[in-house]
Amino acid sequence: METDKELESRIDQILQAEKDNVIPRMTKRDYIIAAIITAISLLGIIGGFFL
Amino acid sequence: MSRKHDVNKEIENEVYCGTLPVLPKERKYGFMDALLVLSGYCIATWSYTQGSYLATLVGFKQLLIGAFLAAIFMLMVYQIPVIMSVRYGIDIWIWLRSVFGPKGNKIVTIIIILVNFPWYAVCCELFADSMENLLGLFGIQLFDGAHLLLSLSCVIVGTIIALRGVGTITWTTRILVPLLLLVGVAVVVVGFTSVPMDVIWNYQPQLAGDADKTVNYVLNIEANFAFVITLVGGMAEVPRLCKSEKSGYYAGVLGQGAAGSFFVVVGAVMAIAMQYVTGQMVDDPTLMMATLSAPILGLSSLLLVAFANIGTQAVGSYIYGVMLKSTFKKVSYKTLVLVLGVYVALLCVWGKITEYFGSFLTIGACVYAPLAALLFVDFFLIRKQKIDLKSAYELPGHNAYQYSKGFNIVGIVCLALGFGFTLLIYDPIQGIVHNKILFMLTPTLASFIFTGLLYYLLCKIPDIRRYVRRDTYAGPDKRPFDRAKTPPRQNLFFLPLMWLLCKIIVSPYKLKVDKHNMEGIKPPFLVYGSHNSFMDFYVTPLALKPYRANYISELEGFEAFGEWIYRQVGCLGTRKFINDQYLIKNIMKVIKRGDVMVIYPEARYANVGTNSHLTPSVAKLAKLLKVPVVTINMQGNYLQQPIWNLKERKGARLHADLKCVVTADEIDKLSVDEILGRISKELTYDEYKYQLDNKIKIDDEWRAEGLHFPLYRCRKCGKDFAMTSSGSRITCKYCGDSYEMDEYGQLHSKSGETIHIPDWYEWQRGFVHEEIREGKYKLDIPVRVWALPNSVNFVDCGEGRFIHDNSGFSLEFDNYRSEKHETLKFPAKSMVSLHTEYDYRGKYGPCVTLSTYDDTFFIYPTDESRDVFNPTKIQFATEYLGGLYK
Repeated sequence: METDKELESRIDQILQAEKDNVIPRMTKRDYIIAAIITAISLLGIIGGFFL
Repeated sequence: MSRKHDVNKEIENEVYCGTLPVLPKERKYGFMDALLVLSGYCIATWSYTQGSYLATLVGFKQLLIGAFLAAIFMLMVYQIPVIMSVRYGIDIWIWLRSVFGPKGNKIVTIIIILVNFPWYAVCCELFADSMENLLGLFGIQLFDGAHLLLSLSCVIVGTIIALRGVGTITWTTRILVPLLLLVGVAVVVVGFTSVPMDVIWNYQPQLAGDADKTVNYVLNIEANFAFVITLVGGMAEVPRLCKSEKSGYYAGVLGQGAAGSFFVVVGAVMAIAMQYVTGQMVDDPTLMMATLSAPILGLSSLLLVAFANIGTQAVGSYIYGVMLKSTFKKVSYKTLVLVLGVYVALLCVWGKITEYFGSFLTIGACVYAPLAALLFVDFFLIRKQKIDLKSAYELPGHNAYQYSKGFNIVGIVCLALGFGFTLLIYDPIQGIVHNKILFMLTPTLASFIFTGLLYYLLCKIPDIRRYVRRDTYAGPDKRPFDRAKTPPRQNLFFLPLMWLLCKIIVSPYKLKVDKHNMEGIKPPFLVYGSHNSFMDFYVTPLALKPYRANYISELEGFEAFGEWIYRQVGCLGTRKFINDQYLIKNIMKVIKRGDVMVIYPEARYANVGTNSHLTPSVAKLAKLLKVPVVTINMQGNYLQQPIWNLKERKGARLHADLKCVVTADEIDKLSVDEILGRISKELTYDEYKYQLDNKIKIDDEWRAEGLHFPLYRCRKCGKDFAMTSSGSRITCKYCGDSYEMDEYGQLHSKSGETIHIPDWYEWQRGFVHEEIREGKYKLDIPVRVWALPNSVNFVDCGEGRFIHDNSGFSLEFDNYRSEKHETLKFPAKSMVSLHTEYDYRGKYGPCVTLSTYDDTFFIYPTDESRDVFNPTKIQFATEYLGGLYK
């Protein structure tokens, strides 16, 4: 029971922190950079077929 | 004693944090810390084994592409859900409870550990090999069984480190990983200096005569995909301790994709060099180093690599121990780490793990690829990055993820099919390619795509979506429905299927359609239909055949059946009893492109099988569109499935009259009143009269059950909400006055009086009108409010207050859009009627709805107000106050 209360309290704090953006989120820019790296990797893999 | 106590406490804290969400203030890792820990997890002597394996498949340049680009490509995709671990401070296995259900998740966890943990037995074997080689350099010969003792000592030491918790592991890896990287660099230098540079750079494997170079390149990519993806299970333990999403994500990508891959390439370089020097491709890293490097460098490298195996064993035991702990909450962390240690020890005693390692790895990838796909799709596309944490942790009263006795059938089926799909492409045991086209995608990627797509499409099916998304309240989709979107024409491929479906559904009820004045009437034209039940949507397309049509539907139907399919069958979405200008524009578009527009102008099902009054706007619309007006009056649809009891009555018989009531020539000449008169005349109906006249026998024993919803007032004692129904009887719970419903829909009292149901219904309306006129009508009750913003989900708005009086409606509730407690007003004159339900979707009970442009609010009684909440009475009052009835 005590564990449940502790857990519930932690979850509430986590959700509040999420609302307040305490943990820096991935931004749109970060996603775009990730997509570009992914695309370059894919092109490299495709290029490997011609080596 | 004090120190021991501190250590135990630290371990308990670590384990505690290992299962509970880690709070932002408890986060320990920046990018570099996370990178080092994850690198420590990925850098292991098995990387050398992987490198030498790749060198048997492809040349060095293709090997580099595979080791770095393939690894990074796969990592960039499958690692991205770890941002959830950072955001919520949870392990991915907590999230996966929503995908598999808590019990399903336990089974998946066990499978993953069974297929994955043999990695660590290989580490122990390699540790023993290294130590033997090391001692051999000093000329020390070991006794029989020493190899097993050495491998078991690796298990024991690794397990002890794991038991000391993440703090010890962090320090171990902080020291070990940079040194290992240095060793790697030294080994590359040794490799490249042992043989001419161009030998390695231009290396090509000696392939067997029937070997296909393309297949080998794909196998090289596949091996790297499999190599990185099998680390999914352990990947989220570290990011959850990170201070930002980006650092958690890139630490995972670079820890495996750069550091791990670097060691793979190191292994390949050494294997190539060994082949050049000795003529044999050896995959034992210690032997390679002892043979190729300078003695002192070889010795130190050997020592470090040997102890790296212990570090890997320790990190693995910790990660999988916590993973098991989060799944088997009642078992202590210590016990779980010991069980894992025993499992590895048994594999060491067995002694054949290296021999069967390839099978373990490949089968592991077959499980991991669909698992990673499910996680990716679930996180981004299904749950849209929101989870109900309280349900995921199974807190009392939070059961969103219990699904079918703890198993999410959809997730488990997708996982199994994804696994099977991989085997359909490639047999990893025999090495046989079954489907070369899909094989070019690699089995892992093909399985990832297949499983992700399958799960996504299945979740598009409304019933499955509702099953999987029982947690919509945690992160509801709040985007308003796009009312302005141009409705597509009915899909031509769907049309025959739709007619077939309609035909099948109406066939037991022997539908007969009569057409009047329809000669020469071709689209575009406007159809006004009577509205009795959902059967109307099956009868109308058959009556209008061969023409396709567009239909107006309440948004609730879009939610029930799915927006895509509803649009394909030609539905225009709207909300009831609002002034929707976009709807008018879309109706005009439909007519302008030459189609049939079907409208059910009563905008609600008939409560007792009789028509509602129509408003002049019905005729005004017809004049605006300047096309012929056709009516479809359907009989029997109500009898087959009345709104107050949705069980189907097999005895019902269907009939429809399709009639052109205003031609194109007449539309400009006739007045609004004249047009309204013609339409109203054709859309007048009385289902019980139709039943009686045609002797339609409905003898279901439960035929009166639910009738007390529309007939709520006792005819004898005059009390409201007094009636109750059971079987074929409706009875007053106060005075006991009772009526039997006969097989032809008539009610009979014990005294022999016969009552026509619509008469009783209209008799009640008079009392409501009187109450209003006398200023006595007022409803002020607590209610439960759900909002429907779009075709995706309902949003729980909690409890509110519902007031209805002469001024109209007032709804006081927590508005999820503004996140404030607000009061919405709906003036009496703004609504001519009200949407009502007696038992919404057969399980949610009675409700009424109120709409704004962007929300439909479904209003249910609470336990406190259930006895005084009757949708029929509220509807009577609304229609009177709105001016529909005078």
